[in-house]
Amino acid sequence: MIGMSSLAGRALTAAATVAAVGGLALGLATGAEVGYVAVPGAGLLAVVVAWVIVRHDPTSPVGPALAWSTSSITVVLTNDLLAESAETADPLPLAGLAHEVWVGLWPLNLAGVFALLLVFPDGRRPGRLWAGLPFLFAGAAVGMVVGMWGAGQVGNQIVGEPTGWRRMLALLSMAGIAASMALAVLSLVLRYRAGDERRRRQFRWLALAGVVVVLCLLGGWVGLSAGVGTAVSMTPFLIAIVALVPLAVGIAVVRHDLFDIDRLLSASLAWLMTLVLSAAVFAATVMVASRALDANGRIGPTAAAFVTALLLLPLHRYITNLVGRLVDRDRHVAVQTVERFAAEVRLGRRQPEEVEAVLRDAQDDENLQVCLLRPDGTWVRLDGSAVPEPTGHTIEAGGHVIARITLGWTSARARRRLADLAQAAWVPLEVSRLRIGLRDALDAVEASRVRLAQAAAAERKRLERDLHDGAQQRLVSTGMRLRLLQRRLQRGDVGTATEELDLAVGELEATVAELRRIAHGVRPQRLDDGLAPALEAVRAASPVPLAMAVHDLPELDETRALTAYLVVSEAVTNALKHAHAGRIEVDVAGDEDHRLCVDVRDDGIGGIPPTGLVTLRDRVLAVGGHLEVHSPVGGGTAVRAVL
Amino acid sequence: VSRLRLVVAEDALLFREGLVRLLAELGHDVVAAVADASALCSAVAEHRPDLAVVDVRMPPDLDADGARAATQIRAEQPEVGLLLLSQHIELRHCLPLLGTPGFGYLLKDRVLHLDEFDDALQRIAEGGVALDAEVVQALVRSRSATALDALTEREREVLGLVAQGHSNTAVARLLRLSERTVEAHMRAVFTKLGLHDDGSTHRRVLAVLAYLESHAPR
Repeated sequence: MIGMSSLAGRALTAAATVAAVGGLALGLATGAEVGYVAVPGAGLLAVVVAWVIVRHDPTSPVGPALAWSTSSITVVLTNDLLAESAETADPLPLAGLAHEVWVGLWPLNLAGVFALLLVFPDGRRPGRLWAGLPFLFAGAAVGMVVGMWGAGQVGNQIVGEPTGWRRMLALLSMAGIAASMALAVLSLVLRYRAGDERRRRQFRWLALAGVVVVLCLLGGWVGLSAGVGTAVSMTPFLIAIVALVPLAVGIAVVRHDLFDIDRLLSASLAWLMTLVLSAAVFAATVMVASRALDANGRIGPTAAAFVTALLLLPLHRYITNLVGRLVDRDRHVAVQTVERFAAEVRLGRRQPEEVEAVLRDAQDDENLQVCLLRPDGTWVRLDGSAVPEPTGHTIEAGGHVIARITLGWTSARARRRLADLAQAAWVPLEVSRLRIGLRDALDAVEASRVRLAQAAAAERKRLERDLHDGAQQRLVSTGMRLRLLQRRLQRGDVGTATEELDLAVGELEATVAELRRIAHGVRPQRLDDGLAPALEAVRAASPVPLAMAVHDLPELDETRALTAYLVVSEAVTNALKHAHAGRIEVDVAGDEDHRLCVDVRDDGIGGIPPTGLVTLRDRVLAVGGHLEVHSPVGGGTAVRAVL
Repeated sequence: VSRLRLVVAEDALLFREGLVRLLAELGHDVVAAVADASALCSAVAEHRPDLAVVDVRMPPDLDADGARAATQIRAEQPEVGLLLLSQHIELRHCLPLLGTPGFGYLLKDRVLHLDEFDDALQRIAEGGVALDAEVVQALVRSRSATALDALTEREREVLGLVAQGHSNTAVARLLRLSERTVEAHMRAVFTKLGLHDDGSTHRRVLAVLAYLESHAPR
């Protein structure tokens, strides 16, 4: 940083202000040509911006340098005015001195710009050697004044040119000025290269102004060649040079994060290059066409317009890409990284779940978080862990929200970058989301299968107990009874044999009944007669009023009939046992797609969660159907199964 | 054939009454008939019977309460013989008792063959073993097949009966062989399995069971 007290900064800027205002006042007072008024007047804008910068940072040398970038031109103009008056009858004060330095003073025009080039944007220089550069410029400027001392100007002709050593000195000084300007530009380039992100962005504002100036210049030339007047053609260029450069410097120093300079610059540059190349193509085509065909035909321009139009868009796309890589390298590289990753995901070389790591890397934000929206409306991280609904950048695909990305630190620039990256990353994001959805579904199926297996095992266990402790026990007892009877008969003791046999037969009958009951638990026997009679049995067994409608039954296989029966009987059991229902309605009907719809509604206490009735749900899912449970607390329960 | 003093533990009333009458018919003295595991333990402690006939599955848990009570009785009164009755083979709760002297395990329907049932009761009361053919088969099935591969079919048959607790004489009668032939088979079995035979029926059974037990694929 060039050491500069705030007082010195203010003093220098104030001096520039005085010079600008003084020059303007002199031009107005003497009624000089329009140029002597317009240039100091336009230069005042730079002075105003300079004061803004000085207020923002009084120790920055950029403010005074900017002020002098136009004020030094005003000083030279003022000197011109004074010098010209020396040859009139009524010379202004100091006209004599002004006349002596007149021609040699021109390097002063560049002094402000030179200073600005050296100190922009924050006064840092690439090395100590560069400290000598201002002295080289100053020496060359003084040399020029000395060399050209006394030379005058008449119209555009220089009179009284120096000879001998003074001529040599003037030539050397000329070279010195050129060299110091070139070195000043070089120092700017070196500082840009060595600068951090913030400084680069400041440089880019200046570059933007430069590009626009060149664009305006080109536009002016085009205008001139098209026969538009000089004033109209070149005015945008002049305004650009006196207004845009100070404004760009001001924004760069005070509010460099105002807009996305990278995009502005890259887009302007791209358009500039497209324009130039299109013009070249147009001109070349006109030339070739008019030479090859007839010299005054209209084919030339028409063909040229056609060819240019054909080339314009692809050319622009190519140039945008190229410029993007050169000017906004970071963003370009980041987007490309993500695009490459997306391509590798498509080729199956990388897992889409790596998208978060890739985005973190590209965004340079290690706390960036990707959250995906599941089909059920809940949010999850990429590893499937649930999170509350996040805030942040929303990504949509096909009109649906699929993901949200939260930044660890945020700025306008970071958000813009993220929007670009997210666009490139939507395919991996969507694939990750679908995979999580798939995994959820598989987990649900797996859990359902396990529950079915457990239910089947429990059912088998119950069946085994029923058989062992019931029927089998009875049969063994009956066997024992018969054995005892046999022993007594062997001894000739007839006694109560008839009664004993009666009891044994009674036992056997009871066992048969028992076995029938058990078998019915495995599969309701009434299903043999069809679903409707089996359901009728459920209705008949209900202790509360049960309205049943069975109609339009489609062709049913054993599995569907059994499942429908179990849905009805279990839902009814549930309504009776848990919901304290006073009335139950059952509706079983086929629809036009040959599906079987089973509805069971009760007026009980409700309150079964939508995920309740797990066993029933599993049964229904196992045959490819689905089950809905609607059960508001206190509002009854409606179970609907579609098979 | 001696008259045994018995305690019967069985929760199903029908079966318990039948069993009591059947044991009385066989000439035994049923000193107590109880319906759950804790009643069984106190009855055995009170009456000190020759033998307790116990249903494996009983209240309070309707799981293996009978088997657990048997284990407890064996620990407290080792002189009391134990016969477990079950509807099906379920050995995991009585593995430590399996093959120990004075222990039997039979399926419930074996009681219908009165003579064999009575024979089993007598053997257990004398410190012998009475294992259901199904139990032995389950044991043999779970053994490493290679060890028993060396045996001929007849030898395996003899081994099975011996493991059930039968004496040579009983085996000879059941297989309709001469006692000498059975003895020859047993010697061959013992040699092939590398066991020592000292001629005593009980100890022979124990050796065979221990062999089956120790070669279990755990």
